[in-house]
Amino acid sequence: MRYLKILKEKLGRDPTFVELQAFSVMWSEHCGYSHTRGYIDRLPKQGHGGNAGVVDLDGTHGIVFKIESHNHPSAIEPYNGAATGVGGIIRDVLAMGARPTAILDSLHMAEVVDGIIRGIADYGNSIGVPTVGGELRISGFYAHNPLVNVMAAGVANHDKIVPSRATRPGQVIVVFGGGTGRDGIHGASFASEDLTGDKATKLSIQVGDPFAEKMLIEAFLKMVDEGLVEGAQDLGAGGVLSATSELVARGDLGAVVHLERVPLREPDMEPWEILISESQERMAVVTSPDNARRVIEIANDHLLRAAVIAEVTEKPVYRVLHGEDVIMEVPVKLLVEAPEEPIFQYQPGSFPNFRKMEYADVDAHQVFEQYDYMVGTDTVLPPGLGPAVMRVKGGCGYSILTHSRADLAAQDPYWGTFVAFLESVRKTLAVGAEPLAITNCINYGDPDTDPEGLAAMMKALKDACEFSGIAVASGNASLYNTYMGKGIPPTLVIGMIGRVDPERVNKPRPSKVFVVGWPDFVLEREKDLWKVLKKVVHDGGFVISAMNLINSTHREALRRMGLMLKVEQLPSVSPVHQMFIVFTDSLELNVPFREIGSLLRVG
Amino acid sequence: MPRYRFAVDIQFKDNVRDPRGETIERVLREEKRLPIHNLRLGKSIHLEVEASNVEKAFHIVRRACEDLLVNPIVEEYEVRKL
Amino acid sequence: MKACVIVYPGSNCDRDTYHALEYVGMKVDYVGLNDELEPYDLIVLPGGFSYGDYLRPGAVAAREKIAGEILKAVEKGKLILGICNGFQILIEMNLLPGALLQNSSGRFVCKWVHLSVSDAVTPFTMHYTRDEVIRLPVAHGFGRYVKVGDKVRVVFKYLEDVNGSDERIAGIASENGRILGMMPHPERACESILGGTDGLRLFQSIVEFLRRESH
Repeated sequence: MRYLKILKEKLGRDPTFVELQAFSVMWSEHCGYSHTRGYIDRLPKQGHGGNAGVVDLDGTHGIVFKIESHNHPSAIEPYNGAATGVGGIIRDVLAMGARPTAILDSLHMAEVVDGIIRGIADYGNSIGVPTVGGELRISGFYAHNPLVNVMAAGVANHDKIVPSRATRPGQVIVVFGGGTGRDGIHGASFASEDLTGDKATKLSIQVGDPFAEKMLIEAFLKMVDEGLVEGAQDLGAGGVLSATSELVARGDLGAVVHLERVPLREPDMEPWEILISESQERMAVVTSPDNARRVIEIANDHLLRAAVIAEVTEKPVYRVLHGEDVIMEVPVKLLVEAPEEPIFQYQPGSFPNFRKMEYADVDAHQVFEQYDYMVGTDTVLPPGLGPAVMRVKGGCGYSILTHSRADLAAQDPYWGTFVAFLESVRKTLAVGAEPLAITNCINYGDPDTDPEGLAAMMKALKDACEFSGIAVASGNASLYNTYMGKGIPPTLVIGMIGRVDPERVNKPRPSKVFVVGWPDFVLEREKDLWKVLKKVVHDGGFVISAMNLINSTHREALRRMGLMLKVEQLPSVSPVHQMFIVFTDSLELNVPFREIGSLLRVG
Repeated sequence: MPRYRFAVDIQFKDNVRDPRGETIERVLREEKRLPIHNLRLGKSIHLEVEASNVEKAFHIVRRACEDLLVNPIVEEYEVRKL
Repeated sequence: MKACVIVYPGSNCDRDTYHALEYVGMKVDYVGLNDELEPYDLIVLPGGFSYGDYLRPGAVAAREKIAGEILKAVEKGKLILGICNGFQILIEMNLLPGALLQNSSGRFVCKWVHLSVSDAVTPFTMHYTRDEVIRLPVAHGFGRYVKVGDKVRVVFKYLEDVNGSDERIAGIASENGRILGMMPHPERACESILGGTDGLRLFQSIVEFLRRESH
């Protein structure tokens, strides 16, 4: 265990076997954010701090959203790794009291890994949450370390938002969902390691059960509807231990946990295994002792198992019992405050001369077509043209996208990350939305041997937020994406949410095609470009803003709308440019633009 | 009561096309150069039955097949004792 | 004139279907597996993954208690519409002939497809014309229709091969036309903001048929 010495000092004694198991989970990079917390603390934030971020949409509705990685599990077992990644992020959004309404992925891989796509598709399709888009980056950098990042969003009335904490002593915690087995024990610590050798194969793999997840969604929303839920958290990495300790820690409270009450799938489990099992499709609900019975009843009605497994106490101590035996007793704060690594100052250089390192231009419809992107009947813009646009029945709407530029960050982590952020803003403006906030997923190699890239990426995120006036609402970090010690390029994936009136979203129709802007990049021009984008969209133009102007995915998306793009030649652009495509009949602008072809109706 | 272990092998009837099986067969024969023919992709269900004797156990498994596990319109099945 | 949408464990188009029925002005209820279907003129089995589709799509749902209620409704000649998983359930109940197997690609497919209307005299398709081409979304992994026997009342056919179905069959009706099963999702094509409105006429047909019949 990495921080054994610190643990001994804090406890003032040698840790017990159970404490070693518990702290190696809670103080793993995955749960403890030791290398990134210092950076995250300095980011501009909004609606941050719960299971997922919350930002206001229209005064009545809040949008809840977060992105999360499932890189390590997907490297070992693509199908279940990716599937359980979807399950986890859905529960994060759900735990805030919101019905999940959209999934996006961000996939970096050396080739399209069929198992990963099927994993996301089978899980997302079954639970009835549309997978409405994402990014597919094909590059040799990710041959041994595919990145599977999944973003989810949901909408809830502000007064139904559920806190991610216990609020008073005397509350109880109910765990409900599927049974607890040995799956995924030490998954969190594994997700914080290099992927070489056999340790990777020893992990007991988590298997997803989308049917249980669907029932869990409906059961939980019913509990929220009936006003039974006073706090909630998903059981993800670290299982019962992490969910219950974090719930009480955020309320400066303590807990007594009764492991013998946890419904088991494997009868012969050791208490410590029950404590840290990462069995999927489980949630923890904070409720009153009086309402606990009804919570359990609702779970059972939905074919799920449930039990009151903990009481919330005033004394901030985390006490774990198995029958009469005390398994562990430690201060709550000690569990949830993992040691922090030093952070590094980064001084960005001037904007570099980026080389072209293109991703393979694959038509992403081979992926999108396997995702049910329409279930829910709220998808206003289908995948393939930029951000998805989702309506909220009864009023407002939002845009949602994932975006990254590791091709640039491999050359300059600071500016590569910064540009990814600016491009996310452009894409959001391109569908007529006003950028609201972001979630981000830090995908990185080894922060111990190469701390500078991480520092550069995090400084860029902070600077880009400040430049754009857009804050961070939630995030996740996946470090040690290495193989034989060699890391992936710094890959910061941005998930951006925008506010949009879904009735006023432009859609492509037969028209002329223009390019607008500059084929190179000058930071000082960026905000002018945003103004131009807003004007063009406001005047009814349909805009595509992409790093290679138009790719085969765009062409196919247009074809599926019965439209064919007829363009003589696209202008050549730098790897970072300030140019976008507009479909409209005429333009009048005070920045460079030129007609390059037309969009025709076919068939 | 004793418990008996069974496998139920479910297969599409001969007159029902199995495009996935055909694809796998083609890969094995044309890419892997293996002399494989008539590959059919079915499913196998393993289960345990509580019954007073093995005949009764067989009977219960067949009932499970006919009530739910098998779609007699397109599938046929075999029960094997394990 | 009252419709209901049956919510099976794992149904996931129940809310969408409810929304579409309400959109055409019907009174709608959700019903659970222990409810009665007596009060309803139209019974819809929605899309989704009932019981996770873990054995065969629709197999477990077809054997639920509500199946008895559905049979009673069939005897009374009520309108029954099965969409996607609902179609699979109707097939598993033997209320419609044939079988729905895994797509020949082995993959889930979600996209808008063109269909031709082969039968425009069912209560569900009166607002279409025979051989009219319409656009509806599909989203399924098990939609390959396999014909068993010759007597099938085909209502919709795909214009292109979507999933390997015999004769490109996308939707069929019972002999009397009062039970319709279809893989495409009309409830997803009721508002132009969602990319098409060809599904709307299916629900409007139902409304008109029921209105006429009640006179």
